[in-house]
Amino acid sequence: MVKVRKAGEKDLENVVELVVRLKRLNSEFDPLLKVRDDVYVQVKNWVSGYLNNKGKLLLVAESDDGRIIGALVSEVRERLFYEPRMEGVIMDFYIMPEFRRRGIGKMMMDEAIKMLREMGAHVISAEFPAQNQISVAFYRKYGFRPMMNVYVKET
Amino acid sequence: MSSSGEDRTKKWYDTSIKVAKEYGGKISVMPKVPVKGLRDFSIYYTPGVAGVSLEIAKNPNLSFELTWRWNAIAVLTDGTRVLGLGNVGPEAALPVMEGKALIFKYLGGVDAVPLPIRVKSKEEFIAVAKAIEPSFGGINLEDIESPKCFYLLDTLRKELNIPVWHDDQQGTAGAILAGLFNALKITGKSISDVKIVLFGAGASNIAAARILHAAGANYKNMILIDSKGPLHAEREDMDKLMLNNPWKYDLALKTNKERSKTVEEAMKGADVLISASTPGPNVIKKDWIKAMNKDAIVFALANPVPEIWPWEAKEAGARVVATGRSDFPNQINNSLIFPSVFRGALDVRARGISDEVIVAVAKEIAKYAEERGITEDYIIPTMEEWEVYPRAAAAAAVEIVKEGLARVTTTYNEELERARSIIAKSRASMEKLMKEGLIKELPAELMR
Repeated sequence: MVKVRKAGEKDLENVVELVVRLKRLNSEFDPLLKVRDDVYVQVKNWVSGYLNNKGKLLLVAESDDGRIIGALVSEVRERLFYEPRMEGVIMDFYIMPEFRRRGIGKMMMDEAIKMLREMGAHVISAEFPAQNQISVAFYRKYGFRPMMNVYVKET
Repeated sequence: MSSSGEDRTKKWYDTSIKVAKEYGGKISVMPKVPVKGLRDFSIYYTPGVAGVSLEIAKNPNLSFELTWRWNAIAVLTDGTRVLGLGNVGPEAALPVMEGKALIFKYLGGVDAVPLPIRVKSKEEFIAVAKAIEPSFGGINLEDIESPKCFYLLDTLRKELNIPVWHDDQQGTAGAILAGLFNALKITGKSISDVKIVLFGAGASNIAAARILHAAGANYKNMILIDSKGPLHAEREDMDKLMLNNPWKYDLALKTNKERSKTVEEAMKGADVLISASTPGPNVIKKDWIKAMNKDAIVFALANPVPEIWPWEAKEAGARVVATGRSDFPNQINNSLIFPSVFRGALDVRARGISDEVIVAVAKEIAKYAEERGITEDYIIPTMEEWEVYPRAAAAAAVEIVKEGLARVTTTYNEELERARSIIAKSRASMEKLMKEGLIKELPAELMR
């Protein structure tokens, strides 16, 4: 059985590994998401800030044999102009290939939504590359819809 | 390749160009009805032929009985990966498809139409294949780049009601399996137990993994190796593969249970090595073969030079060695497979050719060699053993019927006889034309 729980210090290396994989996956969808050479260090510094932080939520999925096989990075943000005022944002969400299509994604998302609500969020959003059809299908399946567009162009 | 090898290749190139020019290509359409006067065209053409049309309009399946469709296939390509030449385009693919059509006719009695097409996308390719379906009893896909070839084969196998075949995948995999069956008999090993390393993860080895599985091999005991090393579920480029080559991704998930991360680890204790990668020698190291199990089986299939010379593989401890070359023992050659598979498939008006058909054909070819007495140097028949083609055709036909993929039924012996007679007739007509001088001898000065 796979367990979903909050990440601790000892999980950091494993979580960084998974988040870097996700950043590399993002690169496949848009040339403006090409990862930097120092992506590993950047991710490590960034993810460290999500451990033991009140407004942040870092979840991991752990397999029977104790491997970290999934990670979800999220936080609660205040919406300055809109109701509801607090929004839980899922920023990074990755599951190792061999553990996909087993409902682990849903388990992690359900847990994240539950905890983000406990942290005050009344709306949940997810950020991912526009061309990632797998994510589009995943979130649509669980009742999400597109709200804001982010358009880019190089200068 | 050595410089003498290059010289030899250059000589073949020159000869082929001169011959192509001399004969104006390699094949033509040959009538099969007697024409004694123009009156006969009232039968073959209008008004008589309208009756045939009306019959077929009522029942389109009659096109298999009342036209050449029962024996006609398209050799279809977009010219994106012609031989080892790469994307040379459809026109440049035509002489190759003509050559393939000639082999189909000579070894299988199949009327094959070379059909390179100019298409911009895989969707357009699918649309063309669907559009030509009514004219043919089968489609042989040829020389299409990977991974597009997987998508095309999978999609067309599902969506067409005639057999669709891609020789670089199924033909080669079938020939590998035929050789492997006998190599395993010689070494007293069982396909369900052996550890198999597939070196190279292109069209043929990806298909080989699937066909080996259909034949009883365990995915967990297979390891595929590409230019980045062994495939496994945790490899860094897995997501990239998921998006760009789902076939390879799928195998990365299923294979390599032991999670070998280097070629050396993968080779350790392997029973079988099937290499379909880049021309050698020295692509496969002797040390790798030394690390294999006792009585190792090594197939080094790159052309023109195998990944390791057969004698080197043997020095390193291999017991059975096969290559893709006719001048060494044990040539793993898809020409043993495709003419017969289509002969059998066409004769039962097949709707498709499943992986199990390929396994059945490989078994039959292996059995044929076994009946003649297999040794380390004879695990697979040579192309000159004519009887193997009708035998393989009969095995294909019977398996297609068994799986409910045939429009008409047959028995092994019936198909054996039919295939023998069709193939013999095809060869006899060519011999007759040559004897009569209607097909001229190759100019002697070109053959020096």
